[in-house]
Amino acid sequence: MKLLRSAAALAAVSLCVHATPTTAQTPTGLQNSQVDIAYVEPSNPDYRPIYERLQKRQVLEDLREFLAPLRLPRKVLAKIEQCGKLTRPYELGGPVTICYEYVAEISKLAPKERTPRGVSREDAIVGAFVQAVLHEMSHAIFDVLKVPVWGREDDAADKLAGFLMLQFGKEVARRTLNGAAYFFEASDRTWTGSDFSDTRGTEAQRFYNYLCMAYGGDQNTFKDFVEVEDGAGSRVVRPKGPARTDLLPARRVPWCVKEYNELRWAFNTLIMPHVDQDLLQKVRARQWLRSDDGK
Amino acid sequence: MKRVVGVLALLLAGISQPMLSQHAAAQDVSELKANSQVVIEYVEPTKPYLRSVYDRMKQRQFLEQLQQFLSPLRLPVTLPIRMLECGETNAYYQPSGPQRGLQLCYEYPEFVGRMAPAETTPEGFTREEVILGGFLSVVFHELGHAVFHLLDVPMFGREEDAADQISAFIMLQFGKNVARRTLTGGAYVWQAFYSGRSPWPRTLYSDTHGHDLQRYYNILCIAYGGDPETFKALVESGPLPPERARNCGREYQQIRRAFVDTILPHIDQDLMKKVQARDWLRPDDGK
Repeated sequence: MKLLRSAAALAAVSLCVHATPTTAQTPTGLQNSQVDIAYVEPSNPDYRPIYERLQKRQVLEDLREFLAPLRLPRKVLAKIEQCGKLTRPYELGGPVTICYEYVAEISKLAPKERTPRGVSREDAIVGAFVQAVLHEMSHAIFDVLKVPVWGREDDAADKLAGFLMLQFGKEVARRTLNGAAYFFEASDRTWTGSDFSDTRGTEAQRFYNYLCMAYGGDQNTFKDFVEVEDGAGSRVVRPKGPARTDLLPARRVPWCVKEYNELRWAFNTLIMPHVDQDLLQKVRARQWLRSDDGK
Repeated sequence: MKRVVGVLALLLAGISQPMLSQHAAAQDVSELKANSQVVIEYVEPTKPYLRSVYDRMKQRQFLEQLQQFLSPLRLPVTLPIRMLECGETNAYYQPSGPQRGLQLCYEYPEFVGRMAPAETTPEGFTREEVILGGFLSVVFHELGHAVFHLLDVPMFGREEDAADQISAFIMLQFGKNVARRTLTGGAYVWQAFYSGRSPWPRTLYSDTHGHDLQRYYNILCIAYGGDPETFKALVESGPLPPERARNCGREYQQIRRAFVDTILPHIDQDLMKKVQARDWLRPDDGK
């Protein structure tokens, strides 16, 4: 990745922020005046196609519309920019940042062919991107709404993101959760010693958590995510052939429905009070993904 | 650190600055009654090697003390707490069924007593704090599960991590001496468990519990985040990496908010002050 050559170049980049006015009228009439968005031009030309593609697709405008029902007591800035690393952790007060480096990584890891679990390249790209945006946005939501969060905050952000992915019908759930899970499966690496002091879970944990969330939220649609269909604990019915490493192990399966119910309870108790129900209906009725997304 | 205004500030004053002056504020034990919803039982073990644990717990009146400790907690139903022989080194909370309630296995304190270091370790873990903290952290962890279940606590993160958090949080509310004698000992046990469970099969990452070392660092971080002065050695010369340490204050505040918002409404404030003012540990505990 190229470094900036001079302070002047840095200044030029920081001015080239494509910010959409917060009062822009959308076809659906959905908007959130507390959400500011920005696509920050990358200095590295390698990221330029990503910048242009995301802008054209209006991903941040979509995010802002998606958040229309959420009553936020103060402003949140969501931006996409070059970070110098894969992620920029959310600090209290914001902003929410998605890094071009992460988007590039998503494409790099996406499978060329459909995987044994049925993940297509397009789903891998769309799902991982949606997960990243909703995960980072979740940190901001916890912060701004002063949500009491038990457990590790990063896991909580994964959970809220996953919950949202399950609220828009089977097709959206399938595409996004498949992609989200796949990204963590593909980024798996070996952790040792003080690696475990990270505030985030391991890629394997996040992978399994997404499989479990999906199955817990819709056992029918996601029965192919798990090792045992009936959740019978130790009675594992292993399919013939080489061992699958891309399914949720039987040991976890019996917990998934309970975990999903607890997640739904958390959402209904802690987030729903801040949600406008009429706008929520409109958001739920809207088509968010397009057939050519991820292509 | 976010400032908390109004009523919550008053409530937090009881939590974030625990009354440490044990001598001045030491409460007469008889003032604290047992929580009438907490039903206790010591089940006699059959194996001889567990007998001394059974005798010690009964003599120390551990469960009776726990009943008093829990007196401020308003529970909707009874909470049975049993000490028993389990056939394994573990502890449980059972939400329903004939074994409903806390099952505290004698095997656990027996194991902790055996594996506690004979001398203070290079990272600074003492034998006494491992024995005390190793046992207490598990008791409060299981109690955490009970409270989350019985009070229907909303939870976005993983419940196993939350139980570790509430356990560590509780041990930080009774002054520096209690914190120092218990908290890091709880962490040590996870590091010791890990040595026996390495290498970690990938499928074990699907468990509802975090990796032993994650739990280890989480507890150290809560300790440092809750009391950076008392626990500064954890970062300065100890195992907690600075990159994580930087975030620990924020993590502690998050846990405190979760406790204040979701648990404190079920706690009798007057009784809580009495519980916080009392000397719970004795000089020979952990020896």
